[in-house]
This record gives sequence, structure tokens and C-alpha cells, in this order.
Amino acid sequence: MGPQPGFSPPLIGLLRSASGRFALLFTAFFAAAATAAAMVLWWNTAGALDRQVEAAIRADATALVERFRAGGQATLVAAIEERIALDVQNESLYLLQGFDGAMIAGNLEGWPSAVEEEFAWLRMPLLRDGTASEGRLLRIDLAGGLRLLVGRDVAEKLRLRALLSEGIAWAASSSAALALLGAWMLRRALEDRLRPVYGTAEAIGAGDLTRRVPLSEREDEFDRLGATMNAMLDRIAQLMAGVRGVSDAIAHDLRTPIARARAKLEEALAEAPEDAPLRAAVEQGIADLDNITRIFQAVLRIAEVEAGSRRAAFAPLDLVPALADVVELYEASAEAAGQTLTAALPAQLPLVGDRDLLLQAVANLLDNALKFTPPGGHVRLSAAVEPGSVVIEVADDGPGLPAAQRARVGERFFRADAARSTPGSGLGLSLVRAVAVLHGGALLLADTEAARTPPGLTVTLRLPGA
Amino acid sequence: MRLLLLLLLPCLLIAGSAAATAADPPLRVTTDGPEYCGQLHARVIAQPGAAQDPARSLAEEGLRLCDSGHSRTGIAKLRRALRAAQGMS
Repeated sequence: MGPQPGFSPPLIGLLRSASGRFALLFTAFFAAAATAAAMVLWWNTAGALDRQVEAAIRADATALVERFRAGGQATLVAAIEERIALDVQNESLYLLQGFDGAMIAGNLEGWPSAVEEEFAWLRMPLLRDGTASEGRLLRIDLAGGLRLLVGRDVAEKLRLRALLSEGIAWAASSSAALALLGAWMLRRALEDRLRPVYGTAEAIGAGDLTRRVPLSEREDEFDRLGATMNAMLDRIAQLMAGVRGVSDAIAHDLRTPIARARAKLEEALAEAPEDAPLRAAVEQGIADLDNITRIFQAVLRIAEVEAGSRRAAFAPLDLVPALADVVELYEASAEAAGQTLTAALPAQLPLVGDRDLLLQAVANLLDNALKFTPPGGHVRLSAAVEPGSVVIEVADDGPGLPAAQRARVGERFFRADAARSTPGSGLGLSLVRAVAVLHGGALLLADTEAARTPPGLTVTLRLPGA
Repeated sequence: MRLLLLLLLPCLLIAGSAAATAADPPLRVTTDGPEYCGQLHARVIAQPGAAQDPARSLAEEGLRLCDSGHSRTGIAKLRRALRAAQGMS
């Protein structure tokens, strides 16, 4: 069975995460340090014991060879017997073999069969009074075909080494467990410190430009990162406020001259002679100025909503009667355009908000839907109460909106490519989105029927319930 | 991998030292039995200082232990007796 889509094994997941890689690096360094420490410990204890034994054997063998050279075989035999007799530690091992294979002196029963010519040193299992032991032996060839084995019983040292090995194994296991624990804690600490940064970035990405990275008082690298991000966000917010302020100021300052020009045109219309082309031109001028005024009103309305000042007027309300009124209002224009407008409303839609803004938002959605739905098409307004939220949907049979352009919906004056030929300012959905954000909700766009051509567009306004 | 090696190191070292000795039959050490007690005792009493303490008492004790079946302990005592008889510490 293969891995499920979206699932990765824990180790791969760990390697993909920077904190996981840091943690693994930490573990590797810890393990390397522990290995080095274990090797040094081994070299200085078990290794030292081995070297000590070998040095003692070598010195003993050298002394015996000197005795043999000085006094011959008899002197060597006497020296071996004396050494065995005086060995209170009961560790010394000797064997002198004649050229004919006969055992001449020593305390080993026979010449070991495992002795090979090319190796001077060997280890042999021993049997001491019925007890198993181990000996370390050095083979020396003497003049006259004599062969000598000099060695030590190392059973005690092996027991000490086994104890040491056990200790190192326990220490290694503990170190490994501690390294893993440390790696896990390191990863957890890094993630904990980075979580506020993720949260802020996500909130900014979702459109909440007021969020900032919370800073601790440690003034460490993460605080420096957070402070840098906050400074960057402040700068972006300042620039955006500047741009918005300019457009708002233009909208505000041009209202008066436009109103004045409109009044003069009205006056000219009233006083003008019955000249039809002139009257038509003046009426067209008034209509154009009305359109400009509407756009400016929309811009100022959006600015007012985004400023949040309307939040003070929030009150508990039931949106169903108001939605029914809006539907009734738009039914007439839909019918005139040969479209069908239907509504599916629950008994109640309780929420806390600004009734006028919400109605304006729903009206904008219906206006949009009817504008893009062809004659004979169907627009459907539905609403539902879900746990913790109220959902209002407007679905149409229009051309829909490509997924790539949906993210830009809500930007002021944004118009989709397909909407260029239809009248409009590109501010309707900006206001809807601003109203949704003001109420703590969200604006979502989807195909009405993805398999159909055109797919249509369903706009969902999701608001927190009362 | 390093962690694994660290964990296995002591086991590998122990296994390595055992492997070198596992192939051959054990060699018997001939100076652990009661027969060597007699040889060693004879060597002790041949020393000029054997009649004096502590060599004498150590030799007697060693012989007694050998006779009661504790050869290795008895041999150790006899070796101490020999050292004492020779004037060694």
C-alpha cells in the first residue's frame, strides 16, 4: 500500500522542516561528541589494561631470554619455576618446549595447537581448577629449537572490561535518549518562537493589515525578525493609507465642483430653448456627472466602512425581512430583463451588525449577478444559519470568474476581463468585501456549476452569527 | 548512523575479543591443583628462613587449605610463605 496523498513519513517531514534539520544536526553533533568521549574513555581504560598486560609480558619475556642467553636452558627452567612459585597473583603463564616437542618447564598442560608461526601474540582459553579463563600469550623462538610461551591470565581484566562496556552501553543509550529529547525540545522551541510570525503572516495574507508580530522581551534573533517584519508592515500600511487617502481626498474634494457643474447644467436645461439636440447633450452631461458622483460616493462609503467607524452602530438584527425587501426590489428589474430571481430564506437570520451596510452589500451582489446573467438566466439568493455563522449566497448563470482573478476581487476599481464591456465601476464587490471584513466575516467566490459552460458565479458572504 | 555505532561499539568490542578465543579448546593450567601444593611446600621448606614466622605459619596454613580441597587459596598462601622465607615483601 503506497503512501496516502498529502502524507509524508515523520523523518521526511522532519527533514523538510528547518527546525527539524537543526534538531537533527544537534543530535548528530551530540552523538559525535558522545562517541568521541566513549572512544577516549575506552582507550584510557580497557585499552590501557591491554597495553599494561602486554608490556608486563614483553618485559618478562625479555628478562627470560636474557637469562637463557646468560645461563642456557637450565637457568631458564629455574627462572620459570621460580617465577611460577613466587606468583602470588596467580596470573603468570609459562611453557618451555624442547626441539622434540617435549614440555620442559611451565604451568601449561601442552603447546596450543592454534599457535601460528606468523603471529607472536595470541589469546587462549584456559581451564583453571575447573573454571574457564583466558590467557594472553607471547611466543618466542629460542636457540636450539626451544620455544617459549610467556603470558598472563587476563580473566580479571576481561571482567573489568565487560563492566566498563556495560557502563559505556548504558551511557550511550542515555546519551542517545537525551539527544533525541534535546532535538525534540529544540524543534519545539523553534516552532513556538516562529508560530507568532506564521500567524501574523497568515493574517496579513488574509487581508488583516493591522496585525503585527508580538514581541517578547528577550530581544533575541526572533524578536529582531519580528521587529523587522513589523517595521516593514508599518511602512506598507503607511503607503497604502497614503494611496487610499489620495483617492478619498480626490473623491471628497471633487464632489463640490461636480455638484456645482451639475446645478449649472440643470439651470441651463431649465432656461434653454426647445432645442432637442442641446437638451439631449445637457441631459447626457447631467447623467455622466451623476455617475461620477455615484462612484465618488462609493469610494467614500468604502473608506468609511474600512475605517471601522460604523462598528459603533452595530445592533442585533434579523436580516430576513430586509433580504425579502431587497429581493422584491430586484424582482422587477430581473423580470424586465427576462431573468428569474428566486430566494430561499430561513425563518430567521440573527446576527449583530449594521443593517444598512449589509443590505447595501446584498444589493450589490444581486446587482452584479443580474448584470452578468444573460436573459432567461436564473439568479438565486439563499441564506442559512450554520453553527456560529450566517451564510448568504448569491448564485448566477453568468460567465463566472476565473480562479486566478478571484483573489483580486475586492480591490478598488478591479474589473474582470469579461466585465469590461458591461457598465460598472469595479467598486461593488469592494464595498461587499469591506462590509464582510467590518463584520468579522469573509467573502468567498466559487463556480455555480464547475462542469457547466459558462460555470456561473456563486458569491458567499459568511458572517459571524449572533 | 553515528548514534547506532555508538550504541553498538561496546557490544562489537566484547564480541571481537570473545571471537578470538572461541575456536580453540582450553589449555589446562597445571599449577592450580593439589599436586603443585606439594611441590611448592617442598620449595618453601628448602629455604633457610622457612622455620621463621610469618613464612612458617603461612606455609602451614597453605598446606592445610590444600589438604582441605582449597588448592588455589592454599597455593596462594604457600607462595606468600615462599616470598617471606626469601625475605621478599
